[in-house]
Amino acid sequence: MERPEPLAPTPDDGHRLHVLTLVQRVLKSLPALVLATLPLLARRSADGGNAFFLGFFVLYGVVALPLMLVQYLRFRYWITPREIVIHSGVFTRRKRNIPLERIQNIEVERSLLPRLLGTAKVKIETAGSTTTEGVLEYVTVAEAERIRQVVRSFQRRATTEPAAAPAPGAPAASVAAPALVSPPAAEEEDRRLLATMPARRVWLSGMFRFSLLYIALIFSAMQYLFDVFGLDPDELAFRIARAMRGGLPPYAEAVQASPWFFGIAVALAAALLGWLTGVLVNVNRYHGFRLWRVGDKLQKRHGLLTLTDRTIPLKKVQALLWRSNPLMRRFGWYRLELQTMGYDVGQQGHQVAVPFAKRDEILALAPQIRPFALPEVFTPVSRLTIRRRLIRYSVVWLGVLAPLAYFFPVALWGLLALPLLGYLAVLQYRHHGYAFAGGLLYVRRGVFRQHLWILPVERFQVFYAEATYFQRRLGLASVYVDTAGAGTFSTPEIDDVEAGTAGTLVQELYRHFQEHFGVRHPADPAG
Amino acid sequence: MRPLDPAIQTVWTIKLAVLWTVIVLGVLTYDVLRLFDAGRTVPAFVPTLAALAAGLAVTLAVPRLRYRYWRFDLRAEELYLERGIWNRVRTVVPLRRIQHLDVSQDVIERSFELGKLIVHTAGTRSSDVVLPGLHITEAERLRDEVKHSITEDAV
Repeated sequence: MERPEPLAPTPDDGHRLHVLTLVQRVLKSLPALVLATLPLLARRSADGGNAFFLGFFVLYGVVALPLMLVQYLRFRYWITPREIVIHSGVFTRRKRNIPLERIQNIEVERSLLPRLLGTAKVKIETAGSTTTEGVLEYVTVAEAERIRQVVRSFQRRATTEPAAAPAPGAPAASVAAPALVSPPAAEEEDRRLLATMPARRVWLSGMFRFSLLYIALIFSAMQYLFDVFGLDPDELAFRIARAMRGGLPPYAEAVQASPWFFGIAVALAAALLGWLTGVLVNVNRYHGFRLWRVGDKLQKRHGLLTLTDRTIPLKKVQALLWRSNPLMRRFGWYRLELQTMGYDVGQQGHQVAVPFAKRDEILALAPQIRPFALPEVFTPVSRLTIRRRLIRYSVVWLGVLAPLAYFFPVALWGLLALPLLGYLAVLQYRHHGYAFAGGLLYVRRGVFRQHLWILPVERFQVFYAEATYFQRRLGLASVYVDTAGAGTFSTPEIDDVEAGTAGTLVQELYRHFQEHFGVRHPADPAG
Repeated sequence: MRPLDPAIQTVWTIKLAVLWTVIVLGVLTYDVLRLFDAGRTVPAFVPTLAALAAGLAVTLAVPRLRYRYWRFDLRAEELYLERGIWNRVRTVVPLRRIQHLDVSQDVIERSFELGKLIVHTAGTRSSDVVLPGLHITEAERLRDEVKHSITEDAV
């Protein structure tokens, strides 16, 4: 059996994960076990459910628990001066060698339980693959930091002396500062703090995040529990009401007396709950937010219960995206996201660089990620876009209303919303514009979700000019420049510019692209 | 600017014919099942005839129109495509952005010695740009020509 080069400070047979990993895996499996056995538990009195229930537990004890132990015992890893080696697997043995020079990113994640136990999860991401290449779940915090240091010092050596191969047996593991708890000391080469978020601001930012998603999740969990225990929500409400003074009838009468009032009250309560959960979720996510620039990488760290620490290599940043909504903008707040390309598919796309900041703060910080200068004026698209949008929205709206009105004539009042749609179309026209300056394409759009993309010419991928039948009738076209890792729902498409302008815009963008890559006299792309 | 191989029209016609045969057969089944239904409002076999007419029109017209609007050009620095009956799309794929290339051929294309060139970029919408209707030798020749332009780090 081939073994990797032994490294002085590591034992010959590699490292095991932290012993407490076992405890954590068992604890993590418990909710699933409980969830799976709950229905049996609730109905065990019915028909021989007891035996089934017991069998389930025996299966868990005889198969799942030993499997976790064997998995733990089989898992070994080595950190050598050249690579990280991971051996794992029970039924299929897997040996994975990750060369240090291919490692793009080491992410250290600490959720609540690992933090209580002083452990961390280390994710190793490489340039070539689309998924996380290796996961060490869990190691001590010091070990996580050591792995990060080994990789970092290797990469530093590689950049300072590109030709020199790493000396075998180098004391790569000498630095083992448990730096995750407090911000890393000044041992870094050039670590610059770009942004922080004081607690007040984290709370404030949560207030702009309204989400019904979490209460929907809570309610569906409650629904599940009710089902499992054979409870009836109506009956429960009845009991609660009876426990209170006066019983249910006064409430029922009140509801019947003014259904509209209660409908609105329920909607308000839901909105309040959604708002509160939004605040809490946001605080949990962004507590203690910090963003540094470390050499040619960005590092960010945040989280209350789950502490994540992530690096984003600057060369993976494809575009900058300012986001806002009318309410945030009213108070001058913005959010900066980075469109990245690379490692994990889940991380591909948009990464939040600054969750919540004033315009001036972002203007001071963002150019350190990619230099840019916001243009004074944006070129508007054609006014005909208002007509097109109004027609499009009206068709959709009438398509919804027509079948509704067939059954409930009251839906005809919905026609009153048509002027509103017109106003929306006007607003969309006003919020839509583009500018191309200094090798950067700026595209802004969106009324309720306002986006401003900043796309560097060197990141352009494919150029599009499109015109549908209706656009052609009005002499319009849309222009789109594709980039890596762009979102699928909101894209920096420039809708409805005059066809001639669209053609020259594409030509100009493509000419700058060519010039950036040193092509002197590019051919006219539209030939 | 070059058109596609005219034989692609036959391939598209066959594919559309197969699709519409399935649709017409589905409508026919529905018609036959409701033949003796008392509450029927539409006369017998009218839906089938309508589907048949639509199918014939689409199968005959679409391949010709699609062919007419398809143009492409492989230049020193870029691949340029123009296509679309309803939605006219012009695409510029810089050769330096190409990640990898495929030449593919399905059963019908194979019997007409046609193939398509599939160009993969790191882009999101256009992670694969498809150039259909090439003679298979031409598709392979284009692939080999483009292959030399692929740079190491396209992202």
